[in-house]
Amino acid sequence: MRQLFLTALLAAGVLGAVHAQNRQLLYDFMEIPQALLLNPGAKAEYQWYAGVPALSGISAQGRASGISVNDLFANDGLDINDKIRDRAINGLKPRDEFGTTVQAELLSGGFRGRERPDNFYSFGIYTLGDAITYWPGDLAELVWEGNAGQLGRRYSLSHLRTRGDVLNVFHFGINRQLDNRWTVGARAKLYSGMVSFRSSTNSGYFLTEPGTNNLLRSILDANMNFRTSGFEAIRRILDDNTADQAAEIRREMVSRGFFGGDLGLGVDLGFTHNLSNRLVLTASLLDLGFLVHSTDVRNFTLQGRGEIEGVEAIFPEALSNPDREFWQQLVDELEGLIPFEENERTYLSFRPTQLYASVRYNFGQKNAGGATSDCNCDYRNGKSAPTPLPDYRSSVGGQLHLVNRPRGPQAALTAFYQRRFWNALALKATYTVDKFSLANLGLGMSLQAGPVEFYFLADNLFGYRNLAASHTQSFQIGLNILSWGRN
Amino acid sequence: MKTTLRFLSGLLCLQTALSCVDSQNFEQLDNLSVTPDMEASLLYVEATEAMINQSAGADFIQETFAFEAFSEQYVADHLLDGVMVYEVENTTSKPLQIVLEFLDASGAVLDSESFRITAAPTAVLRREIPYGGLGGRSIDILRNTAQLRLSATNLGDSTSVSTLPEPKIMLRSSAQFRFELT
Repeated sequence: MRQLFLTALLAAGVLGAVHAQNRQLLYDFMEIPQALLLNPGAKAEYQWYAGVPALSGISAQGRASGISVNDLFANDGLDINDKIRDRAINGLKPRDEFGTTVQAELLSGGFRGRERPDNFYSFGIYTLGDAITYWPGDLAELVWEGNAGQLGRRYSLSHLRTRGDVLNVFHFGINRQLDNRWTVGARAKLYSGMVSFRSSTNSGYFLTEPGTNNLLRSILDANMNFRTSGFEAIRRILDDNTADQAAEIRREMVSRGFFGGDLGLGVDLGFTHNLSNRLVLTASLLDLGFLVHSTDVRNFTLQGRGEIEGVEAIFPEALSNPDREFWQQLVDELEGLIPFEENERTYLSFRPTQLYASVRYNFGQKNAGGATSDCNCDYRNGKSAPTPLPDYRSSVGGQLHLVNRPRGPQAALTAFYQRRFWNALALKATYTVDKFSLANLGLGMSLQAGPVEFYFLADNLFGYRNLAASHTQSFQIGLNILSWGRN
Repeated sequence: MKTTLRFLSGLLCLQTALSCVDSQNFEQLDNLSVTPDMEASLLYVEATEAMINQSAGADFIQETFAFEAFSEQYVADHLLDGVMVYEVENTTSKPLQIVLEFLDASGAVLDSESFRITAAPTAVLRREIPYGGLGGRSIDILRNTAQLRLSATNLGDSTSVSTLPEPKIMLRSSAQFRFELT
């Protein structure tokens, strides 16, 4: 059982990834319908759209702060042990993190209300896999170097923080243009969890200090937990050598992903406000939600406090101990003080809430205000709509992204430039500063040919010079069929 | 405008098409060696002078007890080398001898350590015994140790009492060992 626990911890470390990626290129890139997923209150100007199943809304991201693959595995002739000691053990801090996020849409679409043309409805299903693991600082050092010669040092158990989920998200959003200044939106989400693990509320320490009777005293004060759901079914399948394991796992995951596993609820909120004809303010709050992990749960805990100074044989009292099983008694006493236990209790997890905000300045007027032949606001069809705002080719601005992480909110700042070329092509360039990079240059493209739209977004372009040395890398790609209001 | 368009489109295509990865050597992991140096107390033995005086013979302790700290499978498999540290302190009025023997599961003696200490007042006797590595005793001694036999002998009289407070003999010990985890 301990091995399973340790294996799970290791898996969490290896698979450790980033929760809720910052998709600064997609945010407010309204030529791409998937931007509605980042701000349900974005200014949607489509009549309808449909993502091509399995080819829309695909995104992936990997990142690691403080260290890169190249730092450890470059073919540089240095000893791997020296590199790990210098660059990881001594180089990383407990706030450094690792990871990847993968998302793919199974279904997506949207349409404008027939009765309420100022309403735009969007819906879909996407699969999301994400996780986060922080560098376990003190614990890594303890495993790498040991506690010898470290009298008085407290190795913090709180440095172990990790969590991750694979889930399906079913969503339905309403976007309403209240007037030509305000657009608001909300999206309801139903989460169907497939697998989950988390260990993010650990505390305590391990300490070695001079003993009272003996030379040393070892103290373990632990309040640790590791919660999982969905893994036991996989383990049972893997243990059954008679089964078609791949098919069984796929069947299990599909079942859990379509309401047969953990369930949760969430909501996204957002708005767009035209401060003036050129100046636009947007913001959104995503994933205000939770998951109840009640199926296939297996939790592990290590809680208590124990102090030992080795086997003690104090005579003449020891003579009254008929078994003389001093070692076993010590082990039993320690296990009694700090029991390693398992349970199947339901637990609750909150989704990593994100906040996006932007200020955009439009320029390069394409059409004057008022009714024009290709105004992209004609879905109102002359209905008592306010005078539409001018349409612009270019915009610059800044974006803020905040995400709630196990070690507190994490921020990213982005400056962007966006340009539309005719009605067929739109480009967005971003420069982002966050804990992973101070020079993250991204570029995105939306290309429309008739009703078919293809988009491709990639960030940290400098990282492509040597992907192994990059601290963050992501791409988003998709294929949609859509109809603009102006089409 | 055309220039901008060409530049941005070209940049995107180029960055994607020309992305590269410096040569990485993941086989370096074969040379990974995680060998933490751990230390902890091992055994503490204490006997009062009153007990020593009340013993019928010269041997006032003769005990064998299970001790599987090193023979636990995981520890035995990963133990590399290390040092056992002993401290003996005698505050009694008589010279004493302590013998600690390492026995395997069948009771065969694998190793022994003998401490002879004069009557109080005397300095604390400290001894470090290396196992494994160059010049150390065989690490297999510890790997196979399943029992300890402790013998303590009174080399003096059985009537005198030390003037020091709470006179007793104390054996303290700790182990500092290196483990190979990978």
